[in-house]
Amino acid sequence: MKKAPKSFEEALARLQTILTQMQDTPLAESVKLYAEAADLIQYCNVALDKARLQVEEIDARLQPAGKDPLTTED
Amino acid sequence: MADFISVTALNRLARQVLAASEPLNSLIVCGEISNFTRHYKSGHLYFTLKDAESAIKTVMFRDKARLLRFAPQNGILVLAYGHVTIYERDGAFQLYADYLRPFGAGAAQMAFDALKKKLEGEGLFAPEHKRPLPPIPHCIGVVTSKTGAALQDVKNVISRRWPLTQLLLAPVSVQGIEAEDSIVAGIRALDSDPRAELILVTRGGGSKEDLWVFNSERIARAVYACRKPVVSAVGHEIDYTILDYVADLRAPTPSAAAELCVPDQQRIRAEICSLGENIQKNIQDSLRMCYNTLRSVRPAETITCVHAAMDARQKLLTDCAAQLDRAGKAMLRQKQAALGSAAELAAALNPYTVLARGYAMVEDQKGHCRTVMELRAGEEIHLRGAQALAHCTVNQVRKLDTHEESTEIL
Repeated sequence: MKKAPKSFEEALARLQTILTQMQDTPLAESVKLYAEAADLIQYCNVALDKARLQVEEIDARLQPAGKDPLTTED
Repeated sequence: MADFISVTALNRLARQVLAASEPLNSLIVCGEISNFTRHYKSGHLYFTLKDAESAIKTVMFRDKARLLRFAPQNGILVLAYGHVTIYERDGAFQLYADYLRPFGAGAAQMAFDALKKKLEGEGLFAPEHKRPLPPIPHCIGVVTSKTGAALQDVKNVISRRWPLTQLLLAPVSVQGIEAEDSIVAGIRALDSDPRAELILVTRGGGSKEDLWVFNSERIARAVYACRKPVVSAVGHEIDYTILDYVADLRAPTPSAAAELCVPDQQRIRAEICSLGENIQKNIQDSLRMCYNTLRSVRPAETITCVHAAMDARQKLLTDCAAQLDRAGKAMLRQKQAALGSAAELAAALNPYTVLARGYAMVEDQKGHCRTVMELRAGEEIHLRGAQALAHCTVNQVRKLDTHEESTEIL
C-alpha cells in the first residue's frame, strides 16, 4: 500500500485522479487503484470525523504603533 | 526703566486670566480635524481643529482618548468637549478635549465619501486586484476582538462546516482610539505569519461610531498591501465600510464570512461518496468487461484445440526420433563394413604374413630393415623368418646381373 496522504486535499485530489486513471487501465492496475481509493476514502472520512476546530493566538503587537507613514491631507 | 515681567510670568498671568473666564472652562467646539497624530509612546492625541477661517491646536490625553468610540481622522467634523487654556511652556493657546464625537451624520458621510473616492482613484478597490480565496484553507487568520460575539460566530460556523481548518487569532481592539493601530498591526502580523492562508477582519454589529474605525485609511492601505486574500465582515448586512471595498471579499456578517471562507463538510462528504461510487462502478465495469472477453474466447474449446495441436506435434516428434534412430544405425553398419574391409586389406599387406611363406627379412643389429645391396662383408646381421631369428655374418656381397635376378624370381 502507498503511504498515507499528507493532507485531506491531497487525498481528495488523489481520489479524483484515480477515478480518471481507472477509465483506461488494465484490470490488475485497476484493482490496485481500487484498494488505494478505499484507503483514501477511509482516511478522508476519519479526518472529518475526528476534526475539532483549533484556535491559536498570535501577538499582533509586533510593530510599534504609528510607525507607518501617516497619510494626511494637504 | 519700564516695568517688565518674565515670559513665564506672562504666560502664567494669561493662563490665570483665561482660567477665570468661565465660558472657556467648559465648552464645546465644532471643527474639522486636521494634522491628526497619535503620539506613539504616550498615546496622547494631537490635532488641529479648524473651520473656514481659524484653527486651534487641540490635545487629548490618553486616558480620555481611550474612551473614544470611534477613530478620529483628518477631515472629520467633530464636536470637541473640553476647556481652553495656555500651555505655559510654549505660550500655546490650546484646547484640551475630554471627549469627541462626530458632528452630524452628514459630516462623517462626507469624509467617508471623500476617502472612498480618493482610494478608488488610486485603484485600491480595483476588481482585478481582488484575489480568489483558497478553496480549502488549512489556516485562517482572524483579526477581531478576543471577547467579541463575532469570534464566537466564526468559531461556531467553522466548527460545523469545516473543523479541519485552524484559526489563527490576532486579538485586537475593534473600537476606541487604539483600534486602528491594533487592527493594522493584526493584519500585518497575520500577513507575515506563514500559517495563515487568508485573513478575516471582522466585528459584530454596533453603532455607526462603533464601526467607524473600519473606514480608516491606514487599515484600507494595510489590507491592500496584504499578500494574502482578505475577507471583511463588519457589522450587519447594511453596514458598508471602506474596508469592505478594499477587501478581496466582503461578507454581510461574521457568520456569513465564515461560511464563505471554508467549504461545507456535507458537500465534501457527498463528493467523496460519489467519487467512491464512481470508482466502485468503474471496477465492476472493468471486471464485467474482462469476464465477457474471457467468455467470448470459449475456454473449453480453446483447451481442446490446444490439446489437439499438442498431440499432432507429439506424433511429429516421435516420427522424427524413429527416423533419426534408423538413420544412425544404418550409418553405423556402413562404417563397420568399411572398417572390416580396410582391416582385411591391411592384413593382406602385412609383411610378417609373407614370412610364413618362407621369406626372410634382413635386419641389422639394431633391428632396422636393410636391403641386401647395403650389406658389407663381415657385418653381423639377423635374418628374421616366421617364428625364428638367425644370427649371421656376411661373407660376401655380390651384385647380380639383371638377367640373374629375373631368373631367380622365376
